[in-house]
Amino acid sequence: MPETTSKPLLDAEFLQRLDRLAILAKRVQLGVAKGERKSRRKGQSVEFADYRDYVQGDDLRHVDWNIYGRLESLYLKLFQEQEDLTVHLLIDASKSMSFGKPAKIEFACKMAAAIGYIGLVGYDRVSIEAFSDEAVYRLPAIRGKAAVRQMFQFIEGIAAGGGTQLEQSCRSYILRNRSKGAVVLLSDFMDQDGYEDSLRRLSQSRCDLYAIHVLSRDELDPSVTGDLRLMDCETDEYTEISVSPALLKKYKKNVAGFSESVRRFCMARDMGYILAPSDTPFEDLVLEMLRNGGMVR
Amino acid sequence: MNQAFSFQQWFGNVSGNVGTWFGNWFLAPVLLHFLWLIPIVILLYLLKLRRTRVVISSTLLWLKSLQDLTANAPFQRLRKNLLMFLQILVLLAIIAAVARPFFKAEGAAGRQLCVLIDRSASMQTREGEETRLKRAKDEAYRIIDEMEKGDKIMIVSFAEKSDVLCELTDDRVRLRYAIEGIEPSDSRTKLRDAVLVAHSMNQSLQGDLRVIVISDGNISDLDKIGTRAFDLTFVQVGETRENAGIVAFSMREPEEGQVTERQTFVLVHNDSLEPLDSTITLTFEDEVLAVEQVAVGPGEDGELVFQHPELGEGLLKATLDHEDALDADNEAILALQPTRTIRVLLVADPETPSAYFLQRVLLPDPRVELSTLSPGEYVETGEYDLTIFDSFSPPTVPPGTAAFINCVPPMEGMGVAGTIEHPPVIAVEPEHPMMRFNLNPSNVGIAKALQLVIPNDARTLVSTTGGALVADVSRGGQQLLIVGFDIADSDWPLNLSFPLFFQNLLAWVPQSTLGSETSVPAGRSLTLLPDAEVTTVVITRPDGTTEDVELDPLRPVYYAKTDQVGLYEVSYGADATVYAVNLLDRTESAIVPAESMLIGKSEVQAQRGRVRQNRELWRWFVVAGLAILMLEWIIYSRRAWI
Repeated sequence: MPETTSKPLLDAEFLQRLDRLAILAKRVQLGVAKGERKSRRKGQSVEFADYRDYVQGDDLRHVDWNIYGRLESLYLKLFQEQEDLTVHLLIDASKSMSFGKPAKIEFACKMAAAIGYIGLVGYDRVSIEAFSDEAVYRLPAIRGKAAVRQMFQFIEGIAAGGGTQLEQSCRSYILRNRSKGAVVLLSDFMDQDGYEDSLRRLSQSRCDLYAIHVLSRDELDPSVTGDLRLMDCETDEYTEISVSPALLKKYKKNVAGFSESVRRFCMARDMGYILAPSDTPFEDLVLEMLRNGGMVR
Repeated sequence: MNQAFSFQQWFGNVSGNVGTWFGNWFLAPVLLHFLWLIPIVILLYLLKLRRTRVVISSTLLWLKSLQDLTANAPFQRLRKNLLMFLQILVLLAIIAAVARPFFKAEGAAGRQLCVLIDRSASMQTREGEETRLKRAKDEAYRIIDEMEKGDKIMIVSFAEKSDVLCELTDDRVRLRYAIEGIEPSDSRTKLRDAVLVAHSMNQSLQGDLRVIVISDGNISDLDKIGTRAFDLTFVQVGETRENAGIVAFSMREPEEGQVTERQTFVLVHNDSLEPLDSTITLTFEDEVLAVEQVAVGPGEDGELVFQHPELGEGLLKATLDHEDALDADNEAILALQPTRTIRVLLVADPETPSAYFLQRVLLPDPRVELSTLSPGEYVETGEYDLTIFDSFSPPTVPPGTAAFINCVPPMEGMGVAGTIEHPPVIAVEPEHPMMRFNLNPSNVGIAKALQLVIPNDARTLVSTTGGALVADVSRGGQQLLIVGFDIADSDWPLNLSFPLFFQNLLAWVPQSTLGSETSVPAGRSLTLLPDAEVTTVVITRPDGTTEDVELDPLRPVYYAKTDQVGLYEVSYGADATVYAVNLLDRTESAIVPAESMLIGKSEVQAQRGRVRQNRELWRWFVVAGLAILMLEWIIYSRRAWI
């Protein structure tokens, strides 16, 4: 049965968890910044980052001539991007996200709140957009810790409903928002028209892209039995099934195959992918995302 | 005494009443029992696979899983084809049912049965210690014993005539009693009337009747029986093949010039495989006139002609001195009667040419006692056997036979609508006694004829454009004839058909036949004429039993109980007339049992021993088809293949 965000996000427990997460996240970010290549973008900045071998065609102005004098080898200096980054949080608020225990929309909102909190604490700009074919919730870019409450209030107001229209929403967002940074798409990718076009749209932006594939435990491992008439909550179409071990096995295989296909699609386009069961502690997933190079300054 | 309520009886009564009502609207109401399947279908629908409705986020993956499962299922193709196979099976079952499959099974159980039992002369053939009729009865008893619950049987016996001895019933006692009461007959075998009875019953049962004919198959009128619409089984009884008998016995008219010598003709048929060497004894009033040797080859006829003096009134008997299995054809009797006068009255204007021609044709006949009256002199007296009205319609129709020439009888439904100039003779009715000897007046020239208005049931004997020229308008047993033109307006008197026509008219008068009715075939009726003084006659049959028969003052009465060969004495008070009833039938004397019967266009093979009936199986095919349909529905309603 579908569930909505019944518990308020601004409960004390959640805030404590966010604070702990922020500290952990900072450590991860610092650790990553020291030596690991995290950001996919290498730009022009005053802050030195690293060396690499010179290859024909590189800009000779970045060659470290001191090292050349000593080692008689050409090395190129790399600098950290010092641009003003925005964390774009895109939340699929279609009706299918209202299912699960806990509801996928609740989990996605918590994930978005956590990521947004880390961004705000790190003085990054955060913008959030939640969409379906019925409504679009937009929070223009905000910055600073003072904007956390505003962000939380916005996220709490998101309700799931309507059909999924990933491609249109992503296309619209990309056209309207050209600032660089990271785009995090939280969705179950259960779109009748497929997920590929939406991710392709996102890949056209200059941002670091992350797809957080939110699925409920019931979707990953259904426990249904008997003769059922399954109704799609978004399309009202129905499928009659008689549950059998073979059918369940096939379904689980298809679910695994579905998430794998999304992952491969993301990997092929240099997008981060995380499979996020909605009953997973959101902190773990956020940290995993950060370890994988997300939002590293 | 109050009877406990019996559900079975109540249900049976209700079913019977309902079935009777439906029988008025459906040819096969028994099939309406399949309506009981409707509540079963409803029940199955109510018990139809109930699926729990569950709303989920998306059916995408479930649908894909279903499709993958069914597409990859090893018997998916077979499953799709299974439905096709089942549908083909349903079709096969329906086609087979319509084709009415059957198998031969012993026993005659078959719901509605009509048993026709032959009791004719050939069935009196002795087969060992019993007759063929006895064996036929035993066969009928066996059929009754094999009745199943719900079966009904009717019993019809047939010889010269058919009798329904027991209507359709399941009462075995009544059926056995009816069979027991079948009396042997010495008459010929005519199956047509019995088949008509069965056909009528079959129609009333909406074509659900089976007919069993128990006979030796020696039936004289098979060619007159048309196509039958029911299932017929021929059970043959009899084995004996050897018989010889007298098949013709008559006294010939004396030759011209011969007044004292007469000839009697006897024809013997030998139906055996061995030659017949025997004698024929001719007796008159128990006095032996002659004994002649007769030798007849196997399957051949032998004729004897006895010469003897004029015998007068009495009984002439021919006896074949031969012992065989059938006695009825070993003796023949002629009851010689004195010649009887036919009293004829001609009512005509004596000055007219037609009166002249009529007198000329009637007077020479020695049997005729002719009286002539003019129309003005005519008064109805009732004394005449034949009254001929020439161009004069009397106020009432006199008793006896009447002929109306150029006029119509004063009866309802008869009249004259006009005249026809030069009417051609288009057709004649050759079967009518008035048209005997191939009477064909087609070359008669007629200047003018009446346009006759006659009843629909009248028989047109000679037809022309616009209607009848000569018609038999007999009514109520009284013989009436119309000739619709003036004889003087034609050249008919100059035509050979003219005297022949009036000879036939005289022969048509019952009184004339009486004189020659010296031998009556067994089963045919005796003609009992009106008598001015006697209202009731006493008939003594060959077995000695007597029966009183009331006479009709106006018209002849026909006595039909002539099943036994022998002498029938009809006593008119102190006077008595003797009739000789004989078999004299080649078909009955040929006692070899038939191996088949050709009825209509189909040949029915004889069955010996226990009756084997067709047991139809179409109902089982219908049930099978419905069961397969149900199975197909169940399989179709299962979406996932487990």
